[in-house]
Amino acid sequence: MSSVARTYGRRDTILLAGCVVLSLVALFLPERMREPLATTLRRTVLAPLVSLQSDAELSRRAWATREERVAARDSVTLRSMSVDALSAENARLRDLLGLGARLRWGFVPAEVLSGRGVGEQYTMPLSAGARAGVREFSPVVAPEGLVGVVKTADPTMSIAIMWSHPDFRVSAMAADGSAFGIVAAHLGSGPERYLLEMRGVPVRGTIPPGTEIVTSGLGGTFPRGIPVGVVLGELETSELWARTYLLRPAVLPSAVSAVMVLLPARADSGVAGVWQTGQGTLAATRAIVNAGDSLSRKSGADSASATATPDSLSRAAATAEPRR
Amino acid sequence: MRPIDLARTLIAFVVLVLLHFTLRPLLGWRVGPDFLVIALLLVAIRVRPGAAAVLGLVMGIVADSIELHAFGAGALAMCCVGFAASWLKAVFFADDMFLNAFFFFSGKWAFDIIFLLAERRVGGGELLRELLVWSPITAVVTALWGLLTLLILRPILRPSRT
Repeated sequence: MSSVARTYGRRDTILLAGCVVLSLVALFLPERMREPLATTLRRTVLAPLVSLQSDAELSRRAWATREERVAARDSVTLRSMSVDALSAENARLRDLLGLGARLRWGFVPAEVLSGRGVGEQYTMPLSAGARAGVREFSPVVAPEGLVGVVKTADPTMSIAIMWSHPDFRVSAMAADGSAFGIVAAHLGSGPERYLLEMRGVPVRGTIPPGTEIVTSGLGGTFPRGIPVGVVLGELETSELWARTYLLRPAVLPSAVSAVMVLLPARADSGVAGVWQTGQGTLAATRAIVNAGDSLSRKSGADSASATATPDSLSRAAATAEPRR
Repeated sequence: MRPIDLARTLIAFVVLVLLHFTLRPLLGWRVGPDFLVIALLLVAIRVRPGAAAVLGLVMGIVADSIELHAFGAGALAMCCVGFAASWLKAVFFADDMFLNAFFFFSGKWAFDIIFLLAERRVGGGELLRELLVWSPITAVVTALWGLLTLLILRPILRPSRT
């Protein structure tokens, strides 16, 4: 460090006095003159310094708010996840409303009361009970198809067993009516536990994979035409005179949050046309094929009559020739 | 001052001014170091008091234009501190860390006192709190950063040998 002592003379004093005076002038400058001067300096010679300072400020704020931004991003992600769940629930409720519109009457909407935990995979408490018209053995359905059947009906709530319950049985058939059987839970292990099997199908009734299985209406509990599942394949069993098929259920247990309980009068009157099953498609296909056959028969008849007309004319000409 | 020493001092001065407008806002402390005062003191001990006063005036106008607390207050404080530092340099600026630190501390505190009094923005208890609590703390921080700067820039600031 420099430690050389220097004296200061009159010039330094004058400079100091001048600087002080200028500072005081700047200090007491009117606002209308001070602000333009400062602005001019900021926009010209001091612009690089101002830019550096603002960049440094922005960097500090970005660093200081990084945790807030991470938290905000996490919140948005969390909300977007719940948005997906809400969208799925909305779609399901819309489907349920659509089902209600198709059923028109004789049903009670109900919510599944508890988030099914361990031990509740096969039963579900419903928010509707006997006061709403729910009775024992009332069918429980969803937009996709059959869910289960009411086991007990209390005044304000009821308990239903799902198709995955070991005691659940429903008489079912292929959608085209070609084969009948009894559908029950497939008591396998692991993921296969949540499949169904259709037992007692006569040997002559072969059902190809992909065939839709619906309730047959036999037995009186379930009306005819509620989708139960889709055939995955045939199971090897020891039975000689009957076949057993593995089904993929129409309704997944995890997707059940709101259901419809069919009242006895509605179950008795049937649910024809409520679910668009393969039966309707098949009937439409058959109708189209029959119509096509009718058209071909008609065109065949027309062409035959057109061919017959010249023949008769030629025959008439032949008979008229000898008379000349 | 020889040209080589002038150039070295100028480099140190520019570095400190840049630090004032980059590192200081980046730190964002309530009692951040005042690199402008450090730069002024470093130059003031190498020039005549009148030149130090003029430099202080320019630096003060620059600071006032950007920070807009009170246009002119910074200039007044800077020119007074610069002049005083140049006048007292023989007393303070020895090769002693404690004296250097005290020099920076005194310079910054004197600057704050003149600035706050000239600014006339705060008064009463708040002015006393600023002058007796926050200003000394800021001065201590500035002194520590000043010492650090001296250590880092020692190769540049060392006078060249003839």
